[in-house]
Amino acid sequence: MTTTVGSPVHRTNGLTRFQTVLRGVVLALGAVAFLFPFYYMIIGSLQAEPDSSLAGAFPNPANLTGENYVEINERIDLLRGLVNSGVFTAGVILCTVVFGVLVGYALAVLQWRGRGVTFALALLVQVVPFQLLMIPLYVLIARDYGLSDSYLGMILPFAINSAAVIIFRQYFLQLPRDIFEAARIDGAGELRLLWNVALPLVRPALLTVVLITFIGPWNEFLWPFLITKDAALQPLAVSLANYISNVAATASNPFGATLAGAFVLAVPAVTLFIVFQRYFTSTDLGSGVKG
Amino acid sequence: MTTTAARDIPRHSPNRTRLHRVLGANPLGIAFSAPYLVFVAIVFAIPFVSSIWMSFHDFFFSAPGADVDHAFVGLANYQAVLTDPAVWQAFGNVGVFLLINVPLTVVLALLLAFQLNRVVHARTFLRVSFYVPYVTASVAVVAVWLFLFGGDGLVNQLLGPIAPEPSWLVNPVLAMPTIALFVTWKQLGFYILLYLAALQNVPKELYESAATDGAGRLRQFLSVTIPSVRPATLLVVLLSTVTGANLFTEPYLLTAGGGPNGASASPVLLVYQKGIEQGTPDVAAAIGLILVVLVLIIALLQRKFVGGENS
Amino acid sequence: MRRRAGAHVAVMLTLAAVLITGCGGGQASTGSPDKHGDITIWYSNNEQELEWGKQMVEAWNADHPDEQITAQEIPAGSSSEAVIGASIAAGNAPCLIFNTAPVAVAQFQKQGGLVNLSQSFDDAAAYIEDRSGDLASQYADADGDYFQIPWKSNPVVIFYNKEMFAEAGLDPDKPPLHTYDEFLDSARAIVDSGAAPYAIYPSPTSQFFQIDIDFYPLYAAETGGTPLVEDGKATFADDAGERVAEFWRTVYDEGLAGDEIYQGDAFADGKAAMAIVGPWAVAVYQDLDWGSVPVPTSKGTPADEIWTFSDAKNIGLYTACENQGTAWDVVEFATSPEQDGKLLELTGQMPLRRDLAEVYADYFDENPAYRAFGAQTARVVEVPNSPNAVAMLQKLRDAYTGAVVFGNGSIPDALRQAAAAVDDLAAQP
Repeated sequence: MTTTVGSPVHRTNGLTRFQTVLRGVVLALGAVAFLFPFYYMIIGSLQAEPDSSLAGAFPNPANLTGENYVEINERIDLLRGLVNSGVFTAGVILCTVVFGVLVGYALAVLQWRGRGVTFALALLVQVVPFQLLMIPLYVLIARDYGLSDSYLGMILPFAINSAAVIIFRQYFLQLPRDIFEAARIDGAGELRLLWNVALPLVRPALLTVVLITFIGPWNEFLWPFLITKDAALQPLAVSLANYISNVAATASNPFGATLAGAFVLAVPAVTLFIVFQRYFTSTDLGSGVKG
Repeated sequence: MTTTAARDIPRHSPNRTRLHRVLGANPLGIAFSAPYLVFVAIVFAIPFVSSIWMSFHDFFFSAPGADVDHAFVGLANYQAVLTDPAVWQAFGNVGVFLLINVPLTVVLALLLAFQLNRVVHARTFLRVSFYVPYVTASVAVVAVWLFLFGGDGLVNQLLGPIAPEPSWLVNPVLAMPTIALFVTWKQLGFYILLYLAALQNVPKELYESAATDGAGRLRQFLSVTIPSVRPATLLVVLLSTVTGANLFTEPYLLTAGGGPNGASASPVLLVYQKGIEQGTPDVAAAIGLILVVLVLIIALLQRKFVGGENS
Repeated sequence: MRRRAGAHVAVMLTLAAVLITGCGGGQASTGSPDKHGDITIWYSNNEQELEWGKQMVEAWNADHPDEQITAQEIPAGSSSEAVIGASIAAGNAPCLIFNTAPVAVAQFQKQGGLVNLSQSFDDAAAYIEDRSGDLASQYADADGDYFQIPWKSNPVVIFYNKEMFAEAGLDPDKPPLHTYDEFLDSARAIVDSGAAPYAIYPSPTSQFFQIDIDFYPLYAAETGGTPLVEDGKATFADDAGERVAEFWRTVYDEGLAGDEIYQGDAFADGKAAMAIVGPWAVAVYQDLDWGSVPVPTSKGTPADEIWTFSDAKNIGLYTACENQGTAWDVVEFATSPEQDGKLLELTGQMPLRRDLAEVYADYFDENPAYRAFGAQTARVVEVPNSPNAVAMLQKLRDAYTGAVVFGNGSIPDALRQAAAAVDDLAAQP
C-alpha cells in the first residue's frame, strides 16, 4: 500500500495548481520571445514608413498599409516564386522520405555488409560544409550532367537529406526488437515489416523529417541562384534575395517590402507545421510488445 | 505466452548461408540503401574528392580547355593555413560557439519539449510559436535581433548604464556569444521537434511505475525521461555540433563577415572568402578539410560518451 | 569496425569520383572572333540598368534578325563574382556580362575565362582607347592587352542632406566640407544639434569591397590619384594613408559614424546627414533634397583637382562565347555615343568616355547637379589589376576595420602590416 508523496493540496495531473500556472506562464513567456520575430516581421511589412525605433514595435494604425506587398509583387512574381519553391521542396521531401526511410531502416534493423560504411558516409556528408563543395558541384551538375536551368539540377544536390537518414536510423533503433522478431516469426518479409510495423511506430519521426527537410530547400538561396539564371524557374528565396540586394533600395519602404517578401516565404512553412503538429501524439508502444 | 528467440529458428536453407557470409545476414539492406548510395556517389563523391585533391595542389578553377598547371605542393597549403592567425581565431570562435550553443540547446530543447508534451491548454499555439524562428527567413530574424541587440536596441535601453560598451555585436568578447545565443534561439524549434518525437515513444508505464515507487516529478524526469531519450540526446548533440561547426550565414548576416578584428569569423566564412571571393580554392580546401577532420573526431567522441552502446 | 568503415568510405568515394570523371570532360570552347550568330548576355538587375539593358537589346535585335541577343539578369552584388567564376569553371558563361567588376577581371583572366580583346579583334584596342582616352590604360593588363571594356563609372563623392545641414546651422548651398577640419566640425555640428543621429554612415563591415568606399576615395584625393598598388608595391602605408586613416578614426571615435551594420541605407532613412557614394544612388535618394561635393582632403584641394575612386563596372567578353564576332559588334553598339547617352539619361551613371562633358552637353545643361559627376570621371583611380586583388583589398580592409573603425592598435602599424601582406600578394602570380 503506497501513499502519495508531496503536497496533498489540489493535485491535478500530478502538479499543484500553482505549478501548473507557473508552467503556463513560463511557456507563454517563452512563446512570446519566440514569436516576436514573426510579429515584428508582420508589423514591419505593413508599415508605410519604416520605424526602427522601439515604438515601431507597437505601430500607429495610421502607418499601416498593404502597399509593400503590392510593390514587391510588381517586381518579383510572388506566385511564380512560390510555385518554384514548392516544386523544388516537394522533390527533395519526396526523395528524402522514400529513400531515407529505406536506408534508415536498413541501418538500424538489418544486418548487412557495408552497414558501417553507409552510416559513416551519411555522417560525412553532413559534416562537410556546402561552401567547400559548391563550385566543383556546380561544374559537375551544370557541365557534366548538363542540368543547369532545370528543376532536377536544383533538386539533385539536396535530394536525400543525410540528417534525415541519421534521424530515421536513430528512431528505428529505438524500437524494441521484439516487435520485429514477433512479426518475422509470423512470416512477414522485410518490406512488409517496414511498411506495416515500423513506419506507423515512427510516425513522429516521419513528420519531423518532413518538417525539417522542408525548411532547407525552402529557404535555400545560394544553390538555386547558381544553377538557374532563368527568372521563371527561380524559387522565391532567390527572387527575394536578389530583390533585397538590388531593387529594394528604390522602393518606397525597402525594409517593409523585404519583410513582406519574407512573410510570404514564411507562411507556407508555418502553415505546414500547424497542420502536422497534431500528429505528434503518443503511439503507446507498450501494448505492441505484450501479448 | 513466450516468444522464442529468433536465432533458434532456422529461417533460411543452408545454401543461402554462403551468400549471407558475403553480404551479411540480410542482404536486402544493400538493396534498401542502394538509392542513397548512388546519390552520394553521383553528387557528393566527386566534389569531395576534388576538394581533397585541391588541397594538395596549387589550384584555381579554370575554364575547360584552358592550359593551366596545377602543381603538386604537398602540405604547403596546410602549412600556410596552420600558420595563419586568422584561421586559428576562426576555429577558436567556432569552439566558443559550440561550447555555448550545444549544451544550451540540449537543455532547453528537452525541457521545452517535455513541457510542450504535457501542456493541455493552447497546445497548438505554444508548439507553433517555438517553431517559428526556425522557419522565418534569416533576413527577418536578423532584423529583429539587430533591433534588440543593436547599439540603440531594446536590450541596451533596458540595461541602461550596465549595457556593455562597445555594444554586443561589435564587442570582440561578446560578439561570438551573442551569435551563439541567436543561433540557439533560431534553431531550437528543430531540436524541440526531435525531442517531441522521441518523447512520444516513452511508454507511460515507466512513469507510472516510477510514481508508484514514490518518485516525485523531478525524480521521474531524471530517472525516466532523460535515459529514455538518450538516443535523441545523442542526435541533438551530434546535429547541433555538426551544423554549428559549419556556421556561416549568421555571422555573415549579423556582423557581415568577421566582426571586429575577426571576432566573429568562422572557418566556413574563411572558406567562402578564400575559395569563392579570392579565387584560392586550394587554401580554402585545406581549411575545410581540417574542419571536417576535427568535427568527425568530436562526433565520434560524442557518440562514445553520450550515445552509449545502442548507437 | 570504425577504422575499417573509414577506409572503405575512402575507397568507395575515390572509385566513384574516378568512374564519373571518366564520363564527363572539359572541352575547350569552340568560339572564335570570326563567328557570328545568336548570343547570350547578362546584366545587372539594378532597376535603372535593367531599363537601359532591355532597350539596348530590343534596339539591336530589331536590326539583326540573324544575331539575336538573349538577356538574363544577375544581381549586381558581390555574389555576382561567385556566379561568374562558377560559370567560367563550368564553361557556360554568357558572351557578355555587363556587370564585370574590375577587381575580378585579372582573376577571370587567369582562369582563362576572358577573351584577349587586343589579340582577337584588330580594332579593339584602338576602339577602347579612343572611347575612354587616358583612363583606358588602368584597365589594360601588365602586357598592355585589354581583357575588359571600360564601361561606366560611379565616382565616389559626398552627398549631403540640405535640410539637415540647414537645421544644423550649416550653409546648405556651400557646405564647409573641403578640409578634414571643416568636415569634422560640420559633422560635430550635425550630431550636436540633433539634426541627425549620425553625420555619415559608411558601411563598417569587413567585406573587402567596402574599403573602396571609405578609405580609398579619400586616399586618392589626398595623393592626387595614386592607386593602392603601384609597380607591384603597396602605396597606402605612407603619410597620406595615415592622414586618411586618422581622419576616419576620429569620425568613429567621436561617434559621428556608426560602427554596427545598418540594415538599409542610413542616408535615405534619415539616420545620417551625409553619404559617401556614387551617382547610382540618386535614384534611391530622389525624395531627399540632396547636394553633392567631392570628398574632403586634409588641406582643401580645389574641387576640380580632386581625385576619387571610380567604382567602375565593365564589360567582359568570355571565352565560352561561341559567336565572339557578334559579341564584339554588340559591345561597339552598346558603347556607342547613342547608347552611352541613354545610359546616362536612364541611370545617371557616367559612361567612361573621355569626351563626356562635350558629347552630352545638353544632358548636363538639363541636369546641372550631374555636371560635377561628369567632371569627376576624368579623375578616378581603379582597383589593382592583379589576380590577387580581392585578397589584397581584404587584407587592407581587415587592418582598417581593426585600427580605424574599432580603434584597436596603432594606425601606422596596421597600415604597414597590410602593406607588407599586399606586397607579398602582388609578387605572387
